[in-house]
Amino acid sequence: MLHTRHLCRHYPMGGTIVKALDDLSLDVAEGEFLALVGTSGSGKSTLLNLIGGLDQPSAGSLEVRGRDLARMTRDELSLHRRNTVGMIFQSFNLVPSMTAVENVALSLMFAGVPRAERDQRASALLEAMGLGGRQHHRPKELSGGEQQRVAVARALANQPPLLLADEPTGNLDSRTSREIMDLVRTLNERDGKTIILVTHDAALASAYARRTVTLLDGNVISDTGQPAVLERA
Amino acid sequence: MTFTDTLLLAFRNLRQSRLRTSLTTLGVAIGIASLAGMVSLGVGLQEQVVGRLTQSGVFDSITVTSGRANIPGMGGMGLGRVAGRGGRGGRGGPGNTTPTQPAAPLDDAAVARFAALSHVRDAYPTLRIPMSYQYDGRTNAALAAGIPESSRGEGAFQSITHGTFFPDATGASVMLTLEMAQQLKADAPGSLIGQTLELSYADSAPNAQGTPEFVAGVQVTRVSLPFTIVGIVERDPAPGANLGLSAIMIPLEQARAINARAIANPQAFLQGAAPQTRRYTAVTVRVTSAANTQDVQDQIKAMGFTAFSLNDALQGAKRAFLVLDILLALVGSIALAVSSLGIVNTMVMSILERTREIGIMKAIGGSDRDVRGIFLVEAATIGLIGGMAGIVLGWGVGRFINIGANIYIERQGGTAGDLFSLPWWLILGAMAFALFVSLVAGSYPARRAARLDPIQALRHE
Ligand SMILES: Nc1ncnc2c1ncn2[C@@H]1O[C@H](COP(=O)(O)OP(=O)(O)OP(=O)(O)O)[C@@H](O)[C@H]1O
Ligand SMILES: [Mg+2]
Repeated sequence: MLHTRHLCRHYPMGGTIVKALDDLSLDVAEGEFLALVGTSGSGKSTLLNLIGGLDQPSAGSLEVRGRDLARMTRDELSLHRRNTVGMIFQSFNLVPSMTAVENVALSLMFAGVPRAERDQRASALLEAMGLGGRQHHRPKELSGGEQQRVAVARALANQPPLLLADEPTGNLDSRTSREIMDLVRTLNERDGKTIILVTHDAALASAYARRTVTLLDGNVISDTGQPAVLERA
Repeated sequence: MTFTDTLLLAFRNLRQSRLRTSLTTLGVAIGIASLAGMVSLGVGLQEQVVGRLTQSGVFDSITVTSGRANIPGMGGMGLGRVAGRGGRGGRGGPGNTTPTQPAAPLDDAAVARFAALSHVRDAYPTLRIPMSYQYDGRTNAALAAGIPESSRGEGAFQSITHGTFFPDATGASVMLTLEMAQQLKADAPGSLIGQTLELSYADSAPNAQGTPEFVAGVQVTRVSLPFTIVGIVERDPAPGANLGLSAIMIPLEQARAINARAIANPQAFLQGAAPQTRRYTAVTVRVTSAANTQDVQDQIKAMGFTAFSLNDALQGAKRAFLVLDILLALVGSIALAVSSLGIVNTMVMSILERTREIGIMKAIGGSDRDVRGIFLVEAATIGLIGGMAGIVLGWGVGRFINIGANIYIERQGGTAGDLFSLPWWLILGAMAFALFVSLVAGSYPARRAARLDPIQALRHE
């Protein structure tokens, strides 16, 4: 599903170069649930943004489903973001002026889904997230957990095979965190979505992910390895 | 993303910052109003001037003289010139560079040929006969013009201040200019209607009835004829109208008859020729509409005559108005330029405010084109609504000024008219221009929004 080879992301800063990612090679199979951990500044978010097509590598290759993101045009990257990945963030990133259902429908809008269909699909997704009664609430009228559910619904709207989550529970209490993580696990186990989860929380990583990759200074320092069952698949 | 959805998002954004949107739109409206108002003023003035000139019948008439000379100036048929040209026998005049052809005689046969051309309404000799008139015991000189029946109700005769046009084409009736009528009877020129005016001319025939006299050593006979004053016409302000108002206007047929005998006609005097071979100094050809003037003029020139019309002057006037329109439009554009900066400012502000939202849209799959489209539609909407409001505003202000100006003009003794004109092409043009300007103004902010880096945008607070 995902292969990186000698992946680098360098930021020129004045005279020096900040190496957020440096010669990183990683393979992720379809259907994995992978946790990315590491100290602050180790490059977790940088890697996730590259996989999500929000950013492009400085060097090396980054293949998702057989296509190298390093060589994509801006338009191809936007198609990648729309169809191949769904992202959720620590700060939810919902459009504050839009209701829950409008936020979810927005990603369907970019995909060109007709109005009636996207409203119906967005509504069904929210229902599945347990937000049946909150469809017409704006983000500020929702709790953190509810907002993150809306974000998950939005990330799933265009049915991407890959779900990227950057500290999705960073702003939530432990109980709500577990609810969100349970939801994500269901998406992995029931729907076969590949999950890459960035987190600081080692306990959370070991509780939910089946593989943990640790980064330091832009490189992998430990990898619990791909589960055998998935390697066969 | 479909275009409808782009509209949906753009409108929603505009609604969200309602105050800023309305202020920017108002700015565009003022810009368009000033532009449309200025051009509207230019067009209105042009219609007033050109319209009045066209109505005066000046532009559908061609003055034909013999030979191929160009007549300098604007066509008044002064007596001195008449004599001078007659003496030259209609040969090419000064400044004529084309090879001289044998001059075609400008006689009744030529008049008939002009009349037979297509688009010609009437052709008749331009007759200005020096006569003298007696009224109230005083004798004065005046030029008597022969007025054809086809001038009835046209040009200067559209409105007759007192009385009527000639009751018939041949009778001994006369019309006066208001100026002359006032000279005769200052307090009540209208009371002249119905009175008799004695007109006399110098007859070249020695056996004519009347008093023999000697003019420049030649024996002539003064012939007096009683004419009835039927109408008084306000002198047309149009200069050089060769339809022409002389102080005295008599029916063309009367003028022809007098002209055939009057000593003032040098050819009649020298040749004593039969009336049908007698040559005229000038012939007036009236065409059906001003659009045909050039065409007929060319045909007459091809026959070997000199033809002149004020059409050239009209084209010149139209060109002058075009320059005026452009100048007015430039002045009007200044306000629009300022308001287009308002659009740029509003859009840039809006991008700053919505940076995070743009980042979100890109993160969930919005392309550069989608984002650019939203911002362009926002700018275009401001432009279109501003354009519409601007036209209404410009029209309203124009009406208002027009009312005020007309009160002033009427008080000054002028004729009221529409100083502002708002033809459909101006409305459409102003709308298109508003749209164009707003798209140009919106293109930079839209491009900037489209190129935003999603990661930076998402970090933006
Ligand atoms: N736009 C940028 N310009 C310069 N340096 C950057 C930029 N983005 C990230 N970096 C640097 O790259 C390194 C990796 O950053 P990254 O955000 O990936 O860390 P992280 O592992 O997600 O940290 P955290 O756990 O705190 O979120 C950091 O040293 C950071 O300062
Ligand atoms: Mg991070």
